[in-house]
Amino acid sequence: MRRFTFCLAVIFLVSLFSSTLFAADTFNLVIPLPLTGKQAKFGEMQKRSYEMAVEEINAKGGVKKKKIVLSFEDSGAKPETARAIVEKLIDVKKQPIIVGEYTSACAKAVAAVAEERKTPYLVVASADDNITQQNYKYVFRQNAVNAHYSDGVLDFLKKVVKPQTIAILYESSAFGTSGADAMVKDAGKLGMKILLKEKYEAGSVDFKPILSKVKAAQPDVIYMVSYVMDASLLMKQIKELRIDAKLFAGGAAGFAIPEFIDNAKDAADYVISATLWTPQVKFAGAKEYAEKYKAKYKDYPSYHGASAYSAMYVLKDTLERAKDWTQDRIRDSLKATDMKTAFGPIRFEDKEGYQNQNFMDTLVLQVQKGEFETIWPQQYASKKYIYPIPKWRERK
Amino acid sequence: MSSPQLEVLLQTLISGLLLGGLYALIGIGMTLIMGVMKIINLAHGELMMVAMYIAYGLFTLFHLDPYLAVFIAAPALFILGVLLQKFLINPVLKVDSILPENQVILTVGIGMVLANLATVFFTSDYRSTPVDYATKAWYLSDFWKSSPIELSLSYAWSMSFLIAVAITIALWFFLARTDTGKSIRATAQDNDAALLMGVNVGKMRVITFGLGSALVGAAGCLFIPIYYLYPDLGGQFTLIAFVITILGGLGSTVGAIIGGLILGVFESLTATYVGMGWAPVGRFVIFVAALIFIPGGVVSLLRRQKWGK
Repeated sequence: MRRFTFCLAVIFLVSLFSSTLFAADTFNLVIPLPLTGKQAKFGEMQKRSYEMAVEEINAKGGVKKKKIVLSFEDSGAKPETARAIVEKLIDVKKQPIIVGEYTSACAKAVAAVAEERKTPYLVVASADDNITQQNYKYVFRQNAVNAHYSDGVLDFLKKVVKPQTIAILYESSAFGTSGADAMVKDAGKLGMKILLKEKYEAGSVDFKPILSKVKAAQPDVIYMVSYVMDASLLMKQIKELRIDAKLFAGGAAGFAIPEFIDNAKDAADYVISATLWTPQVKFAGAKEYAEKYKAKYKDYPSYHGASAYSAMYVLKDTLERAKDWTQDRIRDSLKATDMKTAFGPIRFEDKEGYQNQNFMDTLVLQVQKGEFETIWPQQYASKKYIYPIPKWRERK
Repeated sequence: MSSPQLEVLLQTLISGLLLGGLYALIGIGMTLIMGVMKIINLAHGELMMVAMYIAYGLFTLFHLDPYLAVFIAAPALFILGVLLQKFLINPVLKVDSILPENQVILTVGIGMVLANLATVFFTSDYRSTPVDYATKAWYLSDFWKSSPIELSLSYAWSMSFLIAVAITIALWFFLARTDTGKSIRATAQDNDAALLMGVNVGKMRVITFGLGSALVGAAGCLFIPIYYLYPDLGGQFTLIAFVITILGGLGSTVGAIIGGLILGVFESLTATYVGMGWAPVGRFVIFVAALIFIPGGVVSLLRRQKWGK
């Protein structure tokens, strides 16, 4: 019996030593992500992007000669699961920094845990405004906030289209409602009159009743906040009714993904949409990342992937500058970040009521000849914008 | 009424009628099964989803037009319906249980299995069949140059509507004129009497379930060119079929047609004049109102006027 205990003790000690030994030349990072459920598609894209970045970093010698070892935990886009994962990471695995999550609801839950345990948390792609509005010291966000999402579109409206009136259609979800409310505020600033603001149930079959009302109101701009398939149904039925607004604008999401063009086909032409990043932007590394991703997975990534990819470089930069890898040192080092990534320049600022928030230019896409082209701001443009757009009757 | 207002009203009514025609076809399938089997088939929408995946598959693999896919998807769904009835629902009918309606619960289960199988095989991605004529339409101003108002009538929507009407007429003919049709109606009217008259009631049940599935399968093929597809789409359409069945009068085919049209027009009018976010509310207002004021459905009103049979 004594021998047995002795053996156990030896095994225990050895395993303890070996784990500390391994820890010496690797940095273990566990990322919580939605890999199942409705948001799995975005989680998958981010997972691939994180892996691509870490592979590159490790190939160049890692961080302070330590290799980063990545692993993922599936939160299924459920805040309570995300919370549990992160509690375990901080309390048990003593991971000094948290990166990841996708939905705003999960990011909020994780942010609360991270702040409570004084562990820095880098938000990668969650847009809800108040994640970085709660005076959290340890929560950083590198993607733009929802309120600034349509900045690019607004700038385009102000400088090129100069509309007098607008009609807003949005889906009755948190995302749709906040997007529409932001547009109402911004329309006031631009002096646009809101002729219509109508919500609809996501998954509706027939938008023609509401669209014929829009048609009768004759707005200059029709702004729509919709998820994937509603976006293409809306444009298809707008074409069918020949509603000739000066401009059709989408609030990212359903309007900025390839499925939109695939489904709406020619009805998608000339539609503009807000987005945070495109494979065409001229940030160093953006194109290489996009092409590498496409070569590997046969499709261009969206901003979700680009942000995840760049987050690993932000992490590397932060860890290299940190004096030691305790939570507070990493936090201070993250705060001092000022670097250029494939996702754009990243600096965490406190302004406009946000803390540790990266402010970035948001871009405008336009569908031209069945392809997404970046058209605004002009310094990022891949093609010149097409405006005024032809009337439906004159299109082939 | 000024001309823009008239335009909105007319366009709304057109959309409502077209939508209503399609709703009616979904409703008829459910009401047939309801009439003969005395159960609500809560897997109805999921059966439609299965037919849509068939149409989608044929379109992507063989470029077969979704409207032609009706001829493949509907028979396929007939067979699926027959199998479900024979091997799942019939055995449950025979079992005594605490719940008298355990077949209904079984249909819920079948629906869940179908939806999850679709998720496994096709993932939860959205699919569609982007046909060339999807956004083409006839315009009033093309025919009548000086028209003060502009109305449009979509190719795809009209096509779906016309096929739905054709299928409905064929079904009516089948039920009214053929021997099998008459037996189905007899079973629906009085199970025991039909049995005594020598109708093979068991067989009629199987055929009816198959027929109901085939009808909703056809509706699926008519929906896919104007809508899209994902595994969880069923619930929404089961609900619509359920409302139509209640509204029309349980088990009545004529009632389902009228119920479908009423629902389509009512939803469109709600969307235009109250707000599109209210359309689902409108649907349930109609549902509750039908239950309270005309518990026998529209068809009971017709019977009172001696119009309906």
